[in-house]
Amino acid sequence: MSDNQEVSTTGHQWDDDEGYPLQEYNNPLPKWWLYTFYATIVWSVIYWILYPAWPVGGDFTKGVLGWSMHKELREELDEANAKKKNVNEQLARMSLQEIAKKNDLLQYSISGGKAIFGDNCAPCHGQGGIGSKAGGFPNLTDDDWLYGGSLETIQETITQGRTGQMPAHLKATGGAFDEAQVNDLTQYVLSFSGRSQDAAANKRGDALFHGDAGCNNCHGDQGNGSLKGTAGGQALPPVGAPNLTDAIWLHGADLVSIRESIAKGRSGVMPAWGKGSKEVGRELDPLAIKQVTLYVHSLGGGR
Amino acid sequence: MQHATIEKSIPLMAILTLVLVSIGGLVEIVPLFFIKGTIEKVDGMRPYTPLELKGRDIYIREGCYNCHSQMIRPFRDEAERYGHYSLAAESMYDHPFQWGSKRTGPDLARIGGKYSNQWHHAHMMRPQNVVPESVMPAYPWLAKNALDYGDIDKRLRALSKVGVPYTEEQISSAKQDLMAQALAGGDPAGLNKRYGNKVTKDDFDGQPDKISELDALVAYLQMLGTLVDFSGYQAQTR
Repeated sequence: MSDNQEVSTTGHQWDDDEGYPLQEYNNPLPKWWLYTFYATIVWSVIYWILYPAWPVGGDFTKGVLGWSMHKELREELDEANAKKKNVNEQLARMSLQEIAKKNDLLQYSISGGKAIFGDNCAPCHGQGGIGSKAGGFPNLTDDDWLYGGSLETIQETITQGRTGQMPAHLKATGGAFDEAQVNDLTQYVLSFSGRSQDAAANKRGDALFHGDAGCNNCHGDQGNGSLKGTAGGQALPPVGAPNLTDAIWLHGADLVSIRESIAKGRSGVMPAWGKGSKEVGRELDPLAIKQVTLYVHSLGGGR
Repeated sequence: MQHATIEKSIPLMAILTLVLVSIGGLVEIVPLFFIKGTIEKVDGMRPYTPLELKGRDIYIREGCYNCHSQMIRPFRDEAERYGHYSLAAESMYDHPFQWGSKRTGPDLARIGGKYSNQWHHAHMMRPQNVVPESVMPAYPWLAKNALDYGDIDKRLRALSKVGVPYTEEQISSAKQDLMAQALAGGDPAGLNKRYGNKVTKDDFDGQPDKISELDALVAYLQMLGTLVDFSGYQAQTR
């Protein structure tokens, strides 16, 4: 508002004895602002009528449009599911082997599986399934499997979960062996990868491995794990005991890590994701598990 | 009415101020009287166990809410990533609630049971060990610090004063329940009787003979979002 225009005042004068009367301008609000303000008030009333608004006696006003956030969500989800319905039904009917043979369905499954994997599996197994030494979470991109790398076994692992139990061996941590015996076992385990430094300890460890400690009952007589190994010519139970003869180590390859594994034991838990599993907060439906299976299988190690 | 009239009469101005503030107050406060009607009736909600409650205190102490929300909104992207949208009933025993408004990290409203205890341990020691691209800081002291739960019964008592339905029995056996949940031995039967059979008893932090702050925090995280039984929940048209 320009200076030369007459502006009304509030009408009150302060300090007029001094000859400098203090007055307060009564500047009206700009018209556009005022009418916008009134319009918002009118709009709020319209909004109360159209949309859910006021709590009244234990319930609330629903609004004449009948809109609700939760209804909108259900409709959106239904719409999305309807789009995927055909192909999903097809996938649900087909076996993993059949899907793997159809390239378009396989690619669809793998990209779906990748998204599910990224949210649910990657926190432990890493983006792209590279695993993590920190918690002994297996790498899924190599061909060193604990329970098997076929489509069916991977599906079973995801659905039912796995619990790997390597018992503690040192007396101080609940085992049955003393420090020296644990050191001997460590030397013997190192010998599988040609790294044993102490022939005498190695020999004592060998005896323990196949004798009192009974390591061969899970890791096999040759130490090549429950999947490939045998004990006395018998196949081993599917307990997920790692192959000790290769260069892939779940909890570290150095002497200190291996000794710790033997002394304190290790336990690796893969939660079950199948329907009805109490272990996890969120279950994956069989179709999602199929997709994750195909994705994991595609990472490089699948058999 | 002119400014002058109002401004020159203190009683008139006081009355009009009172009227205005009352309208504003009523609009904001009255809905709270009806809030009970907006909380869904669901099966499974229970007050936190003493160990979970201590974990929640640590969650607040460490400022987890600064980066993690606990509020899944009813949108498709959130439903597909995090699961069922959060219900009012799920935070009815929270004082204060931990909805949060910032998501530098993911929402945690349904983190319970999603990952193993072992993962939580590794993650708290150094998040980058399990999630290389993570910007979350490490919390290694949680595993070192012994949990201070000397005042746990008083905490339950305080919450019962603001409406959390802890029974006298739950308050008096708080210490015992806390130990039973974190340690082998203890009295798991009592814990289950007081908090239901779904309560997870475990060695949450990988240190079987010690109750650390990590035990409490992981117990809390593993419970989050798992209490409500959604099989019996009919989504109201809300």
